[in-house]
This record gives sequence, structure tokens and C-alpha cells, in this order.
Amino acid sequence: MRRIAIYGKGGIGKSTTSSNVTAALCERGLKVMQIGCDPKSDSTGLLLGGKRPLTVLNAVRGGGSPALDDIVFEGYGGSLCVECGGPKPGTGCAGRGIIAAFETLERLGAVEHFRPDVVIYDVLGDVVCGGFAMPIRNGYARDIFVVTSGEMMSLYAAGNIAEAVKGFSDSGYARFGGLIQNSRAIRGEDGKVREAAEELGTEVIAVLPRSETVQECEAMGMTVIQGAPDSAQAEAYRSLASELLRRSEEAAGGLRGM
Amino acid sequence: MKIIHPRPNPIVAAMYTLRDLNVDVIVVHGPAGCCFMASRMLEEAGVRVVTSGLMEDDLIFGGSESLVETLKMSWEKFHPDTVAVIGTCSSMIIGEDMDASIKKAALPCNVFSVDSHGCSGDNTTGAVKALECACRAGLLSEGERDRQIFLMNAATSMEKRVGMAGREYLSPTRGPTKLAAARRIADALGSGKRVACAMLAKKELAFRFADMFIALTEAKEKLGGELYLVGNLDGNLGLPRIRGYAEAICSELDSKGVSYESVGGMDEYALIGGRIKEKVDGFAPDLLIIIGIPHAYPELFPGNLLVTDQPRQLANYLSMGLDAVGEVSSHSMVMGVKSIIPLETGDTLRELLR
Ligand SMILES: Nc1ncnc2c1ncn2[C@@H]1O[C@H](COP(=O)(O)OP(=O)(O)OP(=O)(O)O)[C@@H](O)[C@H]1O
Ligand SMILES: [Mg+2]
Repeated sequence: MRRIAIYGKGGIGKSTTSSNVTAALCERGLKVMQIGCDPKSDSTGLLLGGKRPLTVLNAVRGGGSPALDDIVFEGYGGSLCVECGGPKPGTGCAGRGIIAAFETLERLGAVEHFRPDVVIYDVLGDVVCGGFAMPIRNGYARDIFVVTSGEMMSLYAAGNIAEAVKGFSDSGYARFGGLIQNSRAIRGEDGKVREAAEELGTEVIAVLPRSETVQECEAMGMTVIQGAPDSAQAEAYRSLASELLRRSEEAAGGLRGM
Repeated sequence: MKIIHPRPNPIVAAMYTLRDLNVDVIVVHGPAGCCFMASRMLEEAGVRVVTSGLMEDDLIFGGSESLVETLKMSWEKFHPDTVAVIGTCSSMIIGEDMDASIKKAALPCNVFSVDSHGCSGDNTTGAVKALECACRAGLLSEGERDRQIFLMNAATSMEKRVGMAGREYLSPTRGPTKLAAARRIADALGSGKRVACAMLAKKELAFRFADMFIALTEAKEKLGGELYLVGNLDGNLGLPRIRGYAEAICSELDSKGVSYESVGGMDEYALIGGRIKEKVDGFAPDLLIIIGIPHAYPELFPGNLLVTDQPRQLANYLSMGLDAVGEVSSHSMVMGVKSIIPLETGDTLRELLR
């Protein structure tokens, strides 16, 4: 099983990119589980036709004991959609929530039951605390990719995440796979992202153009793969999906790799 | 220096300070087991200590509901005048807004929060937090607050200089029995020597250490010799509960015909060593017994006899070559008492002379 985590600055396009990659991999007949690690729980919306699924944390809140079917939802192309969920903004601790949600998925044997070929973690903004580093730690994700544009703040966030991954790499958990450029159409963007990648000792593994199609499909509650399968943008997501498969490592184990 | 032996934490220090301010109910906003040993002791002392019992759900989604419910239950059960909500590590890490919950619970009494947690450093930081918050809630004057903070800092620096806080690790010890100590005292008095006893007791522990004054007075009546007793028992200083302690102890000593001198308040143990030493030097004793917090006395000599309640402190004294005995577990014995209780060293002396 491949264990891939997608990080990046808030609003940069993590969920859109993850969902399109998931859809593209499903199209090829792979079984993909996408786990949204964000209290907003809007990671898998494009795969579920805009529906908001019950989150793992809401399902276990107050002593609930959900079954896998209550928290894993089938989306476009047979994708398996999970939202960790979390507190309202300004209360509680979303990071602790991620830890608790993973524990629940592990306890219920989500991976053993569904046997996905790929698990994709779509993780909120920056690695703000231990909880949001969870996918990087303890063997959950093996390969970490960061979505970034050529904008300074986004590249800065990419640097921080790379730093966090490096901090954990001694424990042998995860490795930094590269940058995914989600273009904002700013001047000299390709060069800026490439330069940043070099500085981080990594590569730009794909360049996604900025495209109206993305938002048109979003308005229909769909990924580009589903809503505009023949578009150039869909092709860009497909080639990113191939790249992710090529660069990630197959490893045995349950939710956590061995 | 990194100190690794177990020691009091700021949350507990905040709770004790709230007790001294006669707060009726303390709500520990944290997991059920947090500070439970201290909570039980404080319950013995008549303070109602309850917990909001945070669970994983509360950590993730916020603990406001649990706290509001706990506050309402506390009102129903105890009808208190004052309630203090204290923060713990877990609730403060997740940034709980305790004041918002207090507002929401809207109890018809004085409720205030103390944002203490275990990682703020010396335990006295918790006491200082409690004093500042209680002052804002109108429980004590700014003058008394500042006096308490000053004393607190003095105690902290004393512990660092000469106490346990100056050692990386100390294992507890029970030390020798009290027989040799009682013999030393009896021999001195019996041969007409001058014996002084200086008490530097921390708050309620004086309820036990004061028994030494009574036992020594009894011994002098039987054996002769000269006796001088001095202790920090001024009932006009300190937080309300502590003044009450001093008054109770003094009136009991008076009624038993014990003659002693009072120097400084019960919360001033860290400061008044010098003044007590002056008094003792004026008496020029052959044997000096220092009880309570002996290292609060400016100079300790191997010829002194020290009595402490702290097993780790005892280890510290013995390792320095001092003659010391330990009245361990005194702390749990004095919680909630209203009169002087027997000290083992005192009782050993009594038994020896029977
Ligand atoms: N390549 C693109 N072209 C045009 N619009 C895009 C592209 N990628 C993403 N977007 C748009 O950017 C917006 C934010 O994207 P998305 O929600 O995926 O970001 P995110 O990084 O997951 O945000 P958050 O940090 O809030 O979870 C969406 O409205 C999406 O349609
Ligand atoms: Mg997102």
C-alpha cells in the first residue's frame, strides 16, 4: 500500500488536488482511500458530490462506537472517503482530534477491511502542532508532498513542512517526496518554485496550470476528472497521479506501515 | 540545574493558596485524576474540591460544557460563597476560556478563574497566579497580595539556596528513630543546661511542630535546666485561614502554660530566620533544636538537632552531616486539624521520662 500525505499552505489547493488525484487513480482501477485531516472536513466534498459525510470524531463523540460503514463513504470511482473532523474554530484541540481519529480508524481496522492500494492524507494548512504532524509520524504516511504556488508565503510554508518532515526522518517514518506546483499564474512562477525546490534539496514533481475548469467542476460538486474528463486540466491531474505512484513506496502493514 | 525528584507543582500550590483564602469550592478544570492526592488532602481541610473530569472528547471539542455542568452541580450541592476554577495542563494547552464558561454557568456567587498549569516553573508561580486572580475577584487587598508574592519569592529562593530545589535528585529517607534525639534533650535539661527550640513552621504544619514546645515544657518541669522557645506564630499576619491557625495554636499553648516568644507570621518562615537567630543567640543555648523548616535558619551546625517533616529534606540534612530526625507524613496528619497534635519526637521524650 502507498501512504501519501499532501500538505501545503491554507487555501493553496490541497483538497482539490488530492481529490483529483484520488479520482484519477480510481479511474485506473486502483482502490484509494482519501482521509481528510482538517476540522473543516471539506477534503472529500468533490468526490462525494458536495455531500458532507459524518466525521470520524463526530461518530465517536460522546462514547459512540461506529462501524466502518458509518465513517467510510464511497465516492466517485469507488473512492473511499473519510473525514476526521474536529472542533469548531476557536475551541478544543484539532491536533488532538487528528490523533484520536487515526486511533479510531486503526481500531476499526479500516485498512485491513478495505485493503486500499493507496491512502492519501489531505492535511490542514501548516504543521502547526504535534497532532498535524501525525500523518508524518508513527508510520502513517510514507511519502510527503507539498502543494505550493510561486507565491512567497506558500513557498515559505513548504519550507516549514519540509523542515518538519526532516525532523522526523531520523525515526525512519516519512520522507519528503517533492513539491507539487499549483500555479497561480504569477510572473516567473515556474522558476521560483523550481528554485525553492532546489534550496530544499528536492524537485518539482508536477506543474498544474491554473484553470477555470477547476472551479466550474467545483460548482457542480465534482472533480475535473469526473466533470471534464477530456480537459487538459484532467490530463495534468492524471500525470500528477502517475508521478505520485512512481515516487511513492509500496509498504506492507495496516494504517501504519511496517 | 535539572531537578528530577518529584515535587509540588504550580497547580497544587494555587489550590493551597485558595484554601488559605477560605475559598469554599475549587473546581479543577482537567482530567479526573489530575491533582487528586492534593485534592483529597484539601477536602480533609474542609475545602470542597471537584473536577470537571475532562475526557478525550473535551480535549478535542473543548471542555466548556463539562465545566459549566460541574459549576452548576457545585452550586446545587454546596451553595458556596466563593468558587475558584483552576486550570490544569490539559485545559490550558487547548486554550480553554474558563471565564466564558463561568459566565455561562452564571452562579449567584463569586466565581473566578486561575489559569494555572503544571509547566509554568516553580510551584510558587501557581500560588502567585492564585493570589493575583483572587485579588481581582476581591478576596484580598493589593497590599496583602504583594506581601504574599514577596514571601513566596523569598521561599522559592530559599529552597533553591539551601533546600531541596538545590539538588538534582534526593531519595526520601525515614532516618533514625527519635530515641537518640530525645536522649540528647533529656541529658541536656537533666544536667541543667540551656536548651532552645526555634520553630520555623510552614503554615498548618505548626499544628504538629508546636507539640515540641509542650513536650519540652513538660520535660523541663521534670528535669530542670533552662528552656527558651521561639516560633513564627504571630496571628496578626497572613491570609485569613493562616491567621486562624496561629490564633488556635497560641491559645492552646497559653492554656497549657507554655511560655514562648512569637517572631513573625506563619507564612514568613523563609524570611524570619535571622530575627529568630538573634533571639536564640541572646539566650546562648547549649543545645539548639530547630523544628519545621530548619534550613530557614541562617546557620546550621552538626551540634544542632533538626526536626523536619520532609523525607527528602531529611536526606539532605543527613547527607550534610547534620543531626536530624524526620516527622514524615506530618502533612497528611495536619490537614483539617483544629488543635495541636502529637509530634513523635515530643512523644518519645515523654515516654523516656515516664
Ligand atoms: N489549479 C487550480 N486552478 C484554479 N482554481 C484552483 C486550482 N486549484 C485549486 N483551486 C481553487 O482554489 C480554492 C481552494 O482550493 P482547496 O480547497 O483545494 O485548497 P486547500 O489547500 O485544500 O484549502 P484549505 O487549506 O482551506 O483546506 C478552491 O476554490 C479551488 O477551486
Ligand atoms: Mg482543504
